[in-house]
Amino acid sequence: MIKIPTKVLLVDDEEDFAEMLSLRLIELGEKVTVAHSGQEGLDTLAKTGIDVVILDIKMPGMDGIETLREIKKQYPIIEVILLTGHGSTETAVEGMKLGAFDYLMKPADFSDLAAKLEGARKRKDEQEERIRKAEAKLLVRRSGGAF
Amino acid sequence: MKNIRLLLVDDEDDFRQTLAKRLTKKGISPEQAENGEKALSILENKRMDVVVLDVKMPGMDGIEVLHHIKKRYPKTEVIFLTGHAATQDGVHGIKTGAFDYLSKPIEFEHLFGKIKQAYEKIEREEEKLKEAEFREHMEMQMVTTEKLASLGTLAAGVAHEINNPLAIINESAGWLKLIVNKEEMAQMPRKQDFEKALNKIEKGVMRAKRITHQLLGFARKDDSVFSEVNIMELVEEGINLVNMEAVYKNIEIVREIAPDKNTIWSDPSQLRQVLINLLTNAIYATNVGGKITIRLEAMDETITLIVQDTGQGIPKENLNKIFEPFFSTKPPGEGTGLGLFVTRGIVEKLGGIIEVTSKLGNGASFYIMLPRYFKIKKDLDQDERIQFLEHLAEQSNSTQ
Repeated sequence: MIKIPTKVLLVDDEEDFAEMLSLRLIELGEKVTVAHSGQEGLDTLAKTGIDVVILDIKMPGMDGIETLREIKKQYPIIEVILLTGHGSTETAVEGMKLGAFDYLMKPADFSDLAAKLEGARKRKDEQEERIRKAEAKLLVRRSGGAF
Repeated sequence: MKNIRLLLVDDEDDFRQTLAKRLTKKGISPEQAENGEKALSILENKRMDVVVLDVKMPGMDGIEVLHHIKKRYPKTEVIFLTGHAATQDGVHGIKTGAFDYLSKPIEFEHLFGKIKQAYEKIEREEEKLKEAEFREHMEMQMVTTEKLASLGTLAAGVAHEINNPLAIINESAGWLKLIVNKEEMAQMPRKQDFEKALNKIEKGVMRAKRITHQLLGFARKDDSVFSEVNIMELVEEGINLVNMEAVYKNIEIVREIAPDKNTIWSDPSQLRQVLINLLTNAIYATNVGGKITIRLEAMDETITLIVQDTGQGIPKENLNKIFEPFFSTKPPGEGTGLGLFVTRGIVEKLGGIIEVTSKLGNGASFYIMLPRYFKIKKDLDQDERIQFLEHLAEQSNSTQ
């Protein structure tokens, strides 16, 4: 079976971490783009089709929560997984209320991350499927069913 | 003044008894001794506040008795009675530590006044001492609180900073592992050595992660979720989680919990953490074939949960240290030294107290006293709590 790669955007100001995690995900067959700030992440989203964003909460400048808000405003269908180094689950909970798919505590267990990535991708696929079906219905209704 | 413990020491019986009689009329009943030896033997059995002491006595004289008294009972005040015009003795007495001296023949009112003054001095000293003790206690408590608070902040900062490089190590090792396990790498020279080292790195990271997460957990802000907690159910859950280890060591876990009165209002997830920590410790400490008893003593306002093991016990010198952070008797790598520290933190946050008793070789007992109904300062959901209280009332009605 050929794996369909998930298009991942990894946003983390910690460059070494972003690089190593992206290499690990690429090794598993995912397609990963790296950004080192919230703004850079948003710029990438404007240019590249992305399925799931893995987003660090604590970043200088535009932080993860702010970035998440912007992502959800502009691309509501893209799923976001939050990475927190905090140990405080409050921010993570706030993020999930804002529409994040899930969160992970750094250093994250890779099998957890992989499972959440898959879950996020699946949810996005299903949502896209529903949108397609709804659009098809709309089309049928507009044309009065007369093809 | 009514409670003053007074001793009269004089070899002249008439004088002494007259004095005693007059003092009794004033509401003070003194003890009496006719010589120094008798006085000291009385003092041995009963503490005295004030001693009225004659200087000139056969056998042990006043000065000598005074020496003994001041040496053994420094808090006892002594009033010297000297012979007529023997000021020398009086001065010598004061130098030795007497409160004051009176020359015979004495005026009763004068002596009575002196006794009163001496007693007031004792009362003042005692008050001062109590105040000093109280202040010292408060200061120590404040130091501990401050120490823990700053320690928490520091620990959380360190833990947070370490988590980032830790994550880098983790991802790097994970990536290498993925590569080494690729098909094209099957023939890689010394592949096993690489795998071995990578596994060690991952294990090391996990160990460090346990520590940092526990530290962050300790410093975590109050995000407790309160609800009605059934202690019996909580205990069962806790036992289930550690049962494998207990079965492996053939340890019997005994529950002594009455089915009624075991619901409280608290944070279930944090209490579960407390229970698991204590059970894990108990299992670790208990030898093969030992026994762990979990007992619940339910009162109206409080409950006490007791976890008792038959393990090797805690040496006396360690009893004060076990709740300190990073104190561990486990070999390096097995314990973080944070388990009981965090446990105490949780129990105190939930308005409770944790205590331990132990005798070396006779196991240890941990007591957790918790309020039945923890009053949260903020965010109280009145409705839910009222339901809980009504439920409690129903329960007690149905058991009657």
